[in-house]
Amino acid sequence: MSSQIEIKVPDLGGASEVDVIEVMVASGDRIAKDDSLITLESDKASMDIPAPQEGVVTQVKLKEGDKASQGDVILLLEALPSAEATKQSQQQTTKTETTSADANQTTEQTIVVPDIGGATDVDVIEVMVTPGDQITKDDSLITLESDKASMDVPSPYSGTMKSVVLKVGAKVSQGDAIAVIEITDAAANQAAPIQPPETVSSETATKSSTPAATPSSPTQQQTASSNEIYAGPAVRRMAREFDLDLTQIIGTGPKGRIQTQDVQHFVKQRMQAGRGVGLSVPTPPVVDFSQFGEVTSQPLTKIKRLTGENVHRNWLTIPHVTQFDQADITELEAFRQANKHHAEQQGFKLTPLAFIMKVVVKALQTFPQFNASLDPSGQQLIYKKYFHLGVAVETPNGLVVPVIRDVDGKGVLALAQELASISQKAREKRLMPNEMTGSCMSISSLGGIGGTAFTPIINGTDVAILGISRASTQPVWQHDQFIPRLMLPLSLSYDHRVIDGAEAARFTQYLADCLGDIRHLVL
Amino acid sequence: MAEQKQTQVVVLGSGPGGYTAAFRAADLGKKVILVERFSNIGGVCLNVGCIPSKALLHVAKVIDEADALSQHGVKFGKPQIDPKRLVSWKDGVVKRLTGGLAALAKQRKVEIMTGEGQFIDDHHLKVTTDKGDVTIEFEHAIIAAGSEAVRLPFIPEDPRIFTSTGALQLPNTQCNMLVIGGGIIGLEMANVYHSLGAKITIVEFMNQLMPGADVDIVKPLHKRVEKRYQNIWLETKVTAVEAKKDGLYVTFEGKNAPTKPQKFDQILLSVGRSPNGHRIGADKAGVQVDERGFIAVDHQLRTNVDHIFAVGDIVGQPMLAHKSIPQGKIAAEVIAGMKHYFEPRAIASVAYTDPEVAWVGLTETQAKAENIPYEKGVFPWAASGRALSNGREEGITKLLFDPTTQRVLGAGIIGTQAGDLIAEVALAIEMGCDAQDIALTIHPHPTLAETVAQAAEAFEGTITDLYLPKKKKSDKQRAA
Repeated sequence: MSSQIEIKVPDLGGASEVDVIEVMVASGDRIAKDDSLITLESDKASMDIPAPQEGVVTQVKLKEGDKASQGDVILLLEALPSAEATKQSQQQTTKTETTSADANQTTEQTIVVPDIGGATDVDVIEVMVTPGDQITKDDSLITLESDKASMDVPSPYSGTMKSVVLKVGAKVSQGDAIAVIEITDAAANQAAPIQPPETVSSETATKSSTPAATPSSPTQQQTASSNEIYAGPAVRRMAREFDLDLTQIIGTGPKGRIQTQDVQHFVKQRMQAGRGVGLSVPTPPVVDFSQFGEVTSQPLTKIKRLTGENVHRNWLTIPHVTQFDQADITELEAFRQANKHHAEQQGFKLTPLAFIMKVVVKALQTFPQFNASLDPSGQQLIYKKYFHLGVAVETPNGLVVPVIRDVDGKGVLALAQELASISQKAREKRLMPNEMTGSCMSISSLGGIGGTAFTPIINGTDVAILGISRASTQPVWQHDQFIPRLMLPLSLSYDHRVIDGAEAARFTQYLADCLGDIRHLVL
Repeated sequence: MAEQKQTQVVVLGSGPGGYTAAFRAADLGKKVILVERFSNIGGVCLNVGCIPSKALLHVAKVIDEADALSQHGVKFGKPQIDPKRLVSWKDGVVKRLTGGLAALAKQRKVEIMTGEGQFIDDHHLKVTTDKGDVTIEFEHAIIAAGSEAVRLPFIPEDPRIFTSTGALQLPNTQCNMLVIGGGIIGLEMANVYHSLGAKITIVEFMNQLMPGADVDIVKPLHKRVEKRYQNIWLETKVTAVEAKKDGLYVTFEGKNAPTKPQKFDQILLSVGRSPNGHRIGADKAGVQVDERGFIAVDHQLRTNVDHIFAVGDIVGQPMLAHKSIPQGKIAAEVIAGMKHYFEPRAIASVAYTDPEVAWVGLTETQAKAENIPYEKGVFPWAASGRALSNGREEGITKLLFDPTTQRVLGAGIIGTQAGDLIAEVALAIEMGCDAQDIALTIHPHPTLAETVAQAAEAFEGTITDLYLPKKKKSDKQRAA
């Protein structure tokens, strides 16, 4: 028959005296193999310790806050008559029908709707099980949705679904039958005797079913019209400022009055919950670097901080994809070299960037969805009829992005000249704020420095940014032979909410074509 | 060409709603022009309403109290009343307050422009001043143009017939006066004139004085004034007034109407106030005004035109300064970008008669009409040591409670200082206090404010009536 087994802490990879941060089982619980028993946390990681076999917990030896090492006893488990046999019988039940199991070990249980905080006629919006399903305790059976909340109803037993009584759309109250389950071992009978609905939440085996059902109950308090809400005028005003529904907030004051702190607490919780959805990042650990060697600290410049805020926001809020391509600029470069003296005579340089800008505008005209911004609601795309380009400029204080306006109406020489003067201005910190706004798309050129590709972050409210890396001579297969060509790497990051991958590929292809033969510009 | 001015906020009307809005907007950093058609700012409340009437009511009360003392062994001579000096003292009080307002405006750099304001379009207001027209271009406007006393069409123009504004000048206090309308304003002015020596007849169309207040709360006032006044004719209306040289001949109709026309020396018309919505060119700005002259606003006091707000009497009942003031504040705050709303749970009404009558929140009349369940706790002031000491035991403090939650829903109080006592219940309603909260709050003794706690105890059944001159009566109260 049954025997007591000690479940011990397994090999922890050499770690010892590890903190027990959570104990997930209590004595009396029936556990299946691989159910998590406790969570341990070392400096490096946390890990769940799974049950090596199934059985009923008779005593838990560790508690939260304890320190555990390999070999420490976690709990005592009363093994089922034959763990192996039960396993087999479980496997059989999935294949064959109920009769295959031993009569002593098989019981049918009707699972009923547990205490749902007094709500009645609650809609069943999802049924997650079908007859024949093998389920473990706490698996969700159905989802209920009241005016206030939705909740999953977990199974109080492990076993095989015999029949499912409820359908989607049914209205249920506490005590209504959900399904009939066939429990495939005797231990479950002891642990989960047939109980009237009222006592479903009592101790023993159903322990864990109660918390699953209760989280929604605070919001299930009687529907309160605004006049019935127990809160003073200052709290009501505060709720208005945060757009909160006071019926959703639990008052902790005398007689459940909602106090200022309750509203603050609610807002905090909501913000944390929002964070959980994925927008913010866990805060980095505080590290004392001086323990590793000598350090000094210096505040970030204002530009760096502002740029930091902007790139952080865009990095978090825009789903970026970066498309890479190469443009053959052999001819372009020859043309530039042949004509650069025109610029030099006037005291500026004819840079490749001036040509690239011209080409980008041509591409924007051809692909107007790149010359657009998503409105804040995310529901509309705003198309621009003007062509202003931002150009990232490195300055001693940090990165700035001055905007050159109406690029479509300017010649390459004029652009080169303006680039020279605005970069100069940027380095001398003489840029006005309005000279850094209104871009349609931006270009970040690292071509003068090096690199083969990078993934730029979109600037401002643009939907794309073009990164330029260093051009290099590459062997290109043409007419049965490799010939040396000067290739310019292009890295186009775009907002995937607005632009599809194929569009981005066509856009960069178009850029490459135009850069390859600038006669395209006059087409 | 009219003079041009630009401002961020223009406020039309300088009553309590208007000046509060203007001052708050200025404090929140807005450039403000306050337009007022009369030479003194402060509106009806300060100039021809709340304040001057309270000055005269104070005088009336002192006269009556001095007279009442004659029964307790202190006798004064008959008062010598000099109405001219009285009016000039009252005007002095008003002047001090309006002068104070002007100074407050100056400190805040709120420009006051005297003249009648009319909208030209949704961003321009034309002000007709002594020195010609001025056009104000505004970003936001707050309409606080108030209301005025209603005149009845069949009543002739005659210097002996006036509204509360005229009554405050005390043209004749030694006369036989008819008060048409037994509401708050009519009863207050009747009180003043009676104390100064006039004979009073009140005619009221409804079946009780002060319609809107619960009958039991008004009853002690009715009992007191019916002994003092010539006649109180309820459920009766005036159908004709003939102005003759020797007097005003008034014809009545209704339950208590005398058959023949009655002669009066002077008539006070106090049949209500109507909003000034039709006098400001609101249609030019696209602001909707209903046929009675009210302008509908949302909970942020915004009219149908987004950048134009309205506060006070002009947005609807109740027409009370203490409703206009918070509205003015919120309108200014909303304009300044704050997310504030005007949503009080209760606004008290007070009649500064002697005794005062005050009510807030739910009334029994309303509860019955709307089928709202309630229970009440009543404390008669005959059991209040302080009321007895004051020689005024006719008061009643009544609280209405929710039978389920025991939260206070409303109150009606009659008695001296009832207007001051009602504020506590207003706070209790806003805070959602229940009977026990009020009963367990220690009220200083002996005060009239104690009666509020005692009414709550009466509801709870915990009252012990320490000061109980007539035990029987109080027991009965407890049983009730």
